[in-house]
Amino acid sequence: MATVQATSRGSLKAKRATPRIAPDRLVDITVQAGVIVVLCLAWEFGARVGAINPFLLPSLSDVLARIWADAMSGTVFVDLGLTLYRTLAGFLIAAALGIPIGVLMARSATVRWFFDPLISVGFPMPKIAFLPIFILWFDIYDTSKIIMVTFSCFFPIVAATYAGTTGQDKWPIWSARALGAREHEILWEVRLPLALPQILTGLQVALPVGMITTIVTEMLMGGRGVGGSMIMAGRFADSVGVFAGIVEIVFLGFAVVRSLEMLRARLLVWHPEARK
Amino acid sequence: MTTVAMAADARHEAADRARTGIHIDNVTHSYGARASGRGVVALNRICLDIADGEFHALLGPSGCGKSTLLYLIGGFLPIQEGAIVTTNGPVTQPGPDRAIVFQNFALFPWKTVKQNVLYGLRKQGLKGEDAEERARDYINLVHLSGFEDAYPSQLSGGMQQRAAIARTLAVDPKTLLMDEPFGALDAQTRRVMQEELRAIWGRSRKTVVFVTHDVQEAVFLADRISIMSSRPGRIEHVIDVSLPRDRGEDTLEDREFIHLSEQIWRLVREQAVAATRGR
Ligand SMILES: Nc1ncnc2c1ncn2[C@@H]1O[C@H](COP(=O)(O)OP(=O)(O)OP(=O)(O)O)[C@@H](O)[C@H]1O
Ligand SMILES: [Mg+2]
Repeated sequence: MATVQATSRGSLKAKRATPRIAPDRLVDITVQAGVIVVLCLAWEFGARVGAINPFLLPSLSDVLARIWADAMSGTVFVDLGLTLYRTLAGFLIAAALGIPIGVLMARSATVRWFFDPLISVGFPMPKIAFLPIFILWFDIYDTSKIIMVTFSCFFPIVAATYAGTTGQDKWPIWSARALGAREHEILWEVRLPLALPQILTGLQVALPVGMITTIVTEMLMGGRGVGGSMIMAGRFADSVGVFAGIVEIVFLGFAVVRSLEMLRARLLVWHPEARK
Repeated sequence: MTTVAMAADARHEAADRARTGIHIDNVTHSYGARASGRGVVALNRICLDIADGEFHALLGPSGCGKSTLLYLIGGFLPIQEGAIVTTNGPVTQPGPDRAIVFQNFALFPWKTVKQNVLYGLRKQGLKGEDAEERARDYINLVHLSGFEDAYPSQLSGGMQQRAAIARTLAVDPKTLLMDEPFGALDAQTRRVMQEELRAIWGRSRKTVVFVTHDVQEAVFLADRISIMSSRPGRIEHVIDVSLPRDRGEDTLEDREFIHLSEQIWRLVREQAVAATRGR
């Protein structure tokens, strides 16, 4: 017994050491941060030395100063909050619809017959083309924006869920049956956990799409929100304001995408991908 | 003395026998569309009676349908022709009375070793500390203590196999179906697990159907051994192992054990040779 354990203990070492950041990971982070710093410096000094017309490309420090001022007055938080709210609301509704429909498509031929053609047509279609219709139907406020976001997030989520829940490995399912699970329990206890990596991939594809859709609808419809403020700034030839919007979007997008990556890492600790 | 009963064609007097144990009556199974001629006949008219409380080993060349037969007894595949009847009636679907260890372990990859073992216990209505304790016992039994919280992807093949054995044994089934359950283990661990299994069987009077490639393992463990022919699988020989019930290290030096092993080895070899010749 002792020999059996001694020989196999090594395989768990990696797990026990997780709180520490591995040295090669540290190098990774440093290099990536370095690239960003270099780009920022190039922007700043490129604009400073006057190589570029400051109206076309204002210096980074001016842009940051504007964001700071707007943060003091609170408008940045209103814009970011609204944009984030619309993105997440639309995204979550799309997930709440897309995941069950994807599962049902894999489980029932009738549901598949109904949705398969709709999804084949809808997936490659430029969803933003529906905006005028949504504005007519739902007015120009939050509802139409959120529905637009839901509409564009829906397709990648259904497609990924469907792919993840069809043709699943039969072994865990047979195991569950052998141990006394009923069919409806198998859906929750086996099929969904098995499909989770692919469902999460679908969500990770959908979220940036939702973000883009929010910004574009805000730009087209005006009003508050990062996209709307950028269009306003553009109309007043305020290039610093436009770039401030871009920097805000970069940060918001990074934060949102990164949170989803962290959620994935938490949910998939069991997956071999967690130990690459 | 050793009695070797060779039935070239196992007869099925199953119909009017008392319905305890497992009765396999004229079972034929093919994969794919047989009508189109492209299907594969995996099992051909299998008849086999396994008594209640018997330890039965299945030997045969790779691809002869041993796993298929086990899946049919387990109720995982629909029975196409013939019938399988156990103490609980005809087999139509899986049930916790017939627990199985799959050849490829089939653990739940998103559950830890302990959660895997607990899954079956919870399905039996066992809760809280009782379930935890039982899980711990069986994890100890397969020498995996210390790895309760490891995920299958963190374990070696042999460790995954032992986790699967623990998960199946923990539900304490009446009938145990085991598909090469020690195949991924080193010789030493294998020996320990064989003795452990033999002891559990001796204590609990389970019916065991045990698939293996290892002739010595079959002789050491089983009361009776079936030797299958290459595809389409048929039962060619059924052999009684008349060794004493109590078996241990010294059984391996027993003259009867050695004699029987050699004899069975020759029969298995015949089938394996036939398989490579493509019959
Ligand atoms: N899902 C399947 N689809 C088609 N053919 C199959 C399938 N599963 C098994 N077979 C065929 O049925 C035959 C029997 O397979 P089975 O897995 O029962 O063999 P086995 O005796 O368990 O072999 P091994 O000792 O290698 O595990 C094989 O020849 C294989 O080609
Ligand atoms: Mg097999």
